[in-house]
Amino acid sequence: MNEISPTLGRRGLFKLSGGLVVAFSLFNPADVRAAPGAAQAAGAGPIPGGVPPDAGELFAWLAVHPDNTVTLFTGKVDVGTGAETALAQIAAEELYFPVDRLNVVMGTTSVTVNQGPSYGSRTIRYAGPQIRHAAAAGKAALFDLAAEHFKVDASALVVANGIISVNGAPSRSISYGKLVDGKKLTMEIGATGKSFDMVVAPQAKLKDPATYTIVGTSVKRKDIPAKITATYTYIQDLKVPGMLHGRVVRPYGVGATLLSVDETGLKDIPGFVQVVRRDNFLGVVAETEWGAIQASQMLGSVLDPQSPTSSQAKWSDWNGLPEQDKIWDTVRAAPGTDMEVSRNGDVDAVLKTAAKTFKATFQTPFQMHGSIGPSCAVVDVKDDRCIIYSGTQMPHEARHVTAKLLGIPADRVELIWYGAPGAYGRNGLDHAIADAAIMSQAVGRPVRVQWMRWDEHGWEPKGPAIVQDLEGAVDHQGNVIAWRHHMWLPTSMDTRLIAAALIGKPDIVGSAGVGTPAITYAYQFPNTDVADHAEGKVALLTAWLRSPAQFETTFAMEAFIDEMAAETGQDPIDFRLKHLSDPRAIAVLQAAAKLYGWEKRPVRGKRPAAGSGPVTGRGVAWVNRDDARVATIADVTVDPSSGQIKVTRVVVAHDCGLVINPDGLRNQIEGNIVQSISRTLHEEVTFDRAHVTSRDWYGYPILRFHEVPDSIDIVFVNNTPEYPSYGGGEPATCPTAAVISNAVFDAIGVRLRQTPFRPERVKATIA
Amino acid sequence: MAQQTTGKPITINVNGRDHVIDAPPDSMLLYALRDNLGLRGPKFGCGLSECGACTVILNGNATHSCIMPLAAAEGQKITTLEGLGTKETPNRLQEAFIEEQAAQCGYCIGGMIMTAQALLDRNPNPTRDDIKQALDGNLCRCGTHMRILRAVERVANSNPATGTGTKS
Repeated sequence: MNEISPTLGRRGLFKLSGGLVVAFSLFNPADVRAAPGAAQAAGAGPIPGGVPPDAGELFAWLAVHPDNTVTLFTGKVDVGTGAETALAQIAAEELYFPVDRLNVVMGTTSVTVNQGPSYGSRTIRYAGPQIRHAAAAGKAALFDLAAEHFKVDASALVVANGIISVNGAPSRSISYGKLVDGKKLTMEIGATGKSFDMVVAPQAKLKDPATYTIVGTSVKRKDIPAKITATYTYIQDLKVPGMLHGRVVRPYGVGATLLSVDETGLKDIPGFVQVVRRDNFLGVVAETEWGAIQASQMLGSVLDPQSPTSSQAKWSDWNGLPEQDKIWDTVRAAPGTDMEVSRNGDVDAVLKTAAKTFKATFQTPFQMHGSIGPSCAVVDVKDDRCIIYSGTQMPHEARHVTAKLLGIPADRVELIWYGAPGAYGRNGLDHAIADAAIMSQAVGRPVRVQWMRWDEHGWEPKGPAIVQDLEGAVDHQGNVIAWRHHMWLPTSMDTRLIAAALIGKPDIVGSAGVGTPAITYAYQFPNTDVADHAEGKVALLTAWLRSPAQFETTFAMEAFIDEMAAETGQDPIDFRLKHLSDPRAIAVLQAAAKLYGWEKRPVRGKRPAAGSGPVTGRGVAWVNRDDARVATIADVTVDPSSGQIKVTRVVVAHDCGLVINPDGLRNQIEGNIVQSISRTLHEEVTFDRAHVTSRDWYGYPILRFHEVPDSIDIVFVNNTPEYPSYGGGEPATCPTAAVISNAVFDAIGVRLRQTPFRPERVKATIA
Repeated sequence: MAQQTTGKPITINVNGRDHVIDAPPDSMLLYALRDNLGLRGPKFGCGLSECGACTVILNGNATHSCIMPLAAAEGQKITTLEGLGTKETPNRLQEAFIEEQAAQCGYCIGGMIMTAQALLDRNPNPTRDDIKQALDGNLCRCGTHMRILRAVERVANSNPATGTGTKS
């Protein structure tokens, strides 16, 4: 049981949390805290652990323990991507240390450096070099200690597996653990800048990548055995002493006002403690989880609420959402500013005179992150200090945000990070912290809040609905001579909190942001007009969802160019290649074609004969997402009578530069492919004028086992040290909708330009 | 933790041991397993029997513990992920999941393993289609499906053919 004994204190907490046992049974995390000695639990000034360590100190990154194990501390987190293991490999490599004796502590704000949020395929790319340099500086520091120990020059030393020896005298050797002898690594290594741009230990001498033995190998993931045997501690599994269970009761309508709360019967629920009400924020707290669920249900937290006044909590009749079936008109009409992506030549002039012109509109709906585990946090607010337990992807930011929300100094807030179910962007995890903080503040005890499924589906921030218009022209030789791509992009960067809005302070933290153009044009067209209408919030609360907006922009761009290839009778890969000069883009398209066994031919695009059985087709698309290049080819089978699409075979060529852990990256790519097939075929958030109506897995279906492809084959391109490691967490999501749309056209000759491609839409398009 | 309940305590048999649970009879088995017994294998995913994250094996059948009233579980033999093997000595199926690295976030995986274990107990040599059919009610959002299938197949293919299975 994961109960934390109060007598063990916070040190015990670390001992009992999953995966950290070795590190902290031998090492007191308080030692690496940078908090001043005068810190007190109550009153003014920083609490112990209220201030993250100084990035310029070696102990902020590494600890060496007497049993010759090492702990790597990183502000990055891993919610299923394998980043923990990959970062461990990078550190172990530079330290000349066995990766299986190197443990990783992630996210906890008192013992890790803020390296920026773990999002946007940026962990390996930005935190990788920071950790590589810190570990190289650590190895040099250990060599200095050994030189002193053996009274030799450091250049006379050699190292293998964390044991340093005098060259030529193997009997004169000492382990890192013995050398450090339990001491804190107080060496100054230097650091400048912040977050992603932080430069750590700039003077450190790095290993020659040609000699790598750990980086580039498929080290098995550190977290998986515990996850397979129920010994991993997800945030949902955490129990802290004195903890109460909270549930939120959200408004019936998104912007509704709470009129009254009838508490009749709540006191009869075993374990019921109290209702927490602040303005429009409503929650319940109980001694037991079941008690909290029962109480929240009486107040209206149910799958299908009937009306604003059908439960014991009464809400005003708010109907401020736009109509769902006109959402793209709403998006077009929303205020925003125009942002130019690419403009050259004169598109309008060419369109007037060109041999062949094209025009299409692409519409994509709100989609959700859809974590299998609803958002959860435990927060303990008392004496003007706050301890947060969370699996957020942005722990250091969440610490500051929560401090602002509660009106207490950030140095009196600590976030202790635990693993979480996959979030795939900013889902409800940060919002659950705010909910738990408000409830804990009200009851003076730690409160664990877990959202119900309908809270998650109904209230997690969504990926926005997007509309895009494309126009193009082709000359007599079949070359693209004009290209226009206009995007209407609502924000994917809204960082405001649901709870803050409910307590009447919507802007106390975060901002709405705008929909910046998530697109990279690598085609060489002589006349281009690519622009974004950058908008704020439209209809529902949104935030970043895997490959924010670039999943959608790639759909439009790569499906539209396929239309041009098809209409001019050209092979779709050749057609792309002749308009490309980016060697990495060309390389992934060629590698995918080779792995697939691509035979050149024009796109077929014939309508099936009446009564035809299932028809097969193939499609291709590629993307440059944050400097990674991905080309995907897939086969589909379309049944014209049912409208069912089945993706049967997928081939991916992936270039994110140097790969740290090949199998870990494959796992991510497979995940991107399956998830993006799901988003393409099934996923659409529905809503009425009051609230989201797709509030469970029937309302918002995702891909199931019977629909998975028969195979997903992957080839890496440019996996060499000449290329830095870019990110692999997102890019392979981007091409999929276009690939499937293009393959469906190849099979049955209809263009699907609106996701999801559900059977009824496919049938309607055929008819 | 103070439990204030009505009604008499209920005894359930979990992973081979009887446990007296002090919780309302109409509360769901999932919360007894997680909150009263401190087990972590079964997860809360939906509370609606839609995702399979809470799956346990009850009298040999994969069962969604999130909608099973505690009273209905009385006297039944319940196995959770903890009952299969430990981190030091995982059972064959758990070993196969580790070999195939068949997890990303892993939140659904306990339910996947329990559903697959119930299938393998019933049919030691399932085909890929059998496995897909058995797991169709278990949702995975990370997209680990290909690996999960391979992990279950790894055990199915190493089991001696029974002649009663549907392996083709």
